[in-house]
Amino acid sequence: MIYFFFITLAIIVSFFVQEFIPFFAWAFYSRLLLVHTVYYCAAVSVPFPVMLFLALLTGFIWDARYFVPVQVIQEVGVGQGGQLELPFGFTIFIFGLLGSLIQGVRPLFRRGRWELPVFLIGFCVSLGLLLEYMVISFQRGGLEVPPEFWWKILMTGLFTTLISPFLLLWFSRLADRVGYKIQMSGITRKYTYDGNAF
Amino acid sequence: MNRLNVVFLLAFVGILVWITMFHSSDFVERVQRGAMSFFAPFISSSAKLSTVAEGVEEDELTPSEMKAKLAALERERDGLRLEVLQLDEVIDENNELRKALQYKERVPLELLAARVVSRKPSNWYNTIVISKGADDGVEPDSPVIVSMGEEAALVGKVSEVRGKHTAVVLLLTDEMCQVSAKLENTQEEGIVTGQRGTLRERPNLRLRYLSKEVLAKTGQRVISSGAGELFPPNLILGEVASVKVGVLDAEATLKTVVDFDKLKDVFVLILDQEKEKKGGEAPASGGEGKEDRISDQDGNGDPVALPKPATAGGGGAPRR
Repeated sequence: MIYFFFITLAIIVSFFVQEFIPFFAWAFYSRLLLVHTVYYCAAVSVPFPVMLFLALLTGFIWDARYFVPVQVIQEVGVGQGGQLELPFGFTIFIFGLLGSLIQGVRPLFRRGRWELPVFLIGFCVSLGLLLEYMVISFQRGGLEVPPEFWWKILMTGLFTTLISPFLLLWFSRLADRVGYKIQMSGITRKYTYDGNAF
Repeated sequence: MNRLNVVFLLAFVGILVWITMFHSSDFVERVQRGAMSFFAPFISSSAKLSTVAEGVEEDELTPSEMKAKLAALERERDGLRLEVLQLDEVIDENNELRKALQYKERVPLELLAARVVSRKPSNWYNTIVISKGADDGVEPDSPVIVSMGEEAALVGKVSEVRGKHTAVVLLLTDEMCQVSAKLENTQEEGIVTGQRGTLRERPNLRLRYLSKEVLAKTGQRVISSGAGELFPPNLILGEVASVKVGVLDAEATLKTVVDFDKLKDVFVLILDQEKEKKGGEAPASGGEGKEDRISDQDGNGDPVALPKPATAGGGGAPRR
């Protein structure tokens, strides 16, 4: 319980820190999405219901702060349609969906094998951005994918991948300190990382 | 999956569906305003920090360069003093002529100076956050401009008023900000939009739906036509970089005249008298209100005249 409290606190604090993280024009306006990184790192270490709660909390606060209510344009100069391009709460859906994916590698995190979790956290952040862009493209009609778009997705994922080992380290230390034990649900049978998992 | 997980999953899906589908727009607005006021101290601290960082990056001037700059500024000041004297005479003359013609004033166009507090907070939308909001008379769709010497360039439109002193501006470079435009000194009209997913510095704009017979020169300016009634006419949008003639129509690629990454101060246009009244009632507690307003009697027909900018290329200098 104490661990969950600290994890929730870490997510809330990450929102404050996120305000100070700039975008990098040289990296196609990518930036470190700290909130996403903290959330996915937390999702590796908590049970499924807690992950869903965190998805709800993190996605809700993210949309409350960063959601832009752009409506689908029906006709230029006449007015705008009432439908939003991205619905409020879409981030909750992304966090829930990708958090469930991340849940699969919890046993690896417990065993101290962070290669796959770290890669998956970066991948999930990139995939979340991709999903957002695809929904926007679907609403606007016609898929326009400039090369910079892929670079932005890649660079954002890279920033996340670079920072996530430190967060995972902190979370595992925190778990040790408060006596929290990560449960073995997820990839347990097919896991052959250290050769002794069967 | 055990039973408890299924229950939690169903509860999660239920809440998600409720949030995304069955909430009212008022709910979202209230939530966002609450979040913005909660994060406001961090947003302003972040803005201050980035201003300090930008100041550090700027090259320091040597004493001789400073002297030269001071001399140039003094010369400019003397010139402006003379200009003001001449303008006073013109204003007097103008007032007399107005009286003689029983001139009826058109709807005043009011400029509200605002500071950019956050740039590109959204992942996919080109937006900025400005320091003026509901209490200052800002409303959704209010045009946002920046001074370019004695003219004005369009920055975008207010997408959402998110607090008493906060609003989100959708930039001209975003695909969803569409402006009725025309090539300067011609009758050729079209629609200016940004480009989707453009993540380059100084991204280009598109001027679409031009006639096939369009005669556009490279460097020719494109200005707002005022046809859409959302944006006033004669705001600079960009300069023609190239023209591509298609089967049915032509499309021009435009270079932006504003460096959107370096915007510091902008002006929000308050168009209606109702909005003007609302803005005029703004409390002085915020320290930002009437003193930031610059009345502009140009109405809808003439170019919007603005005070000269303090720095070239970036934002204009608001009267503070």
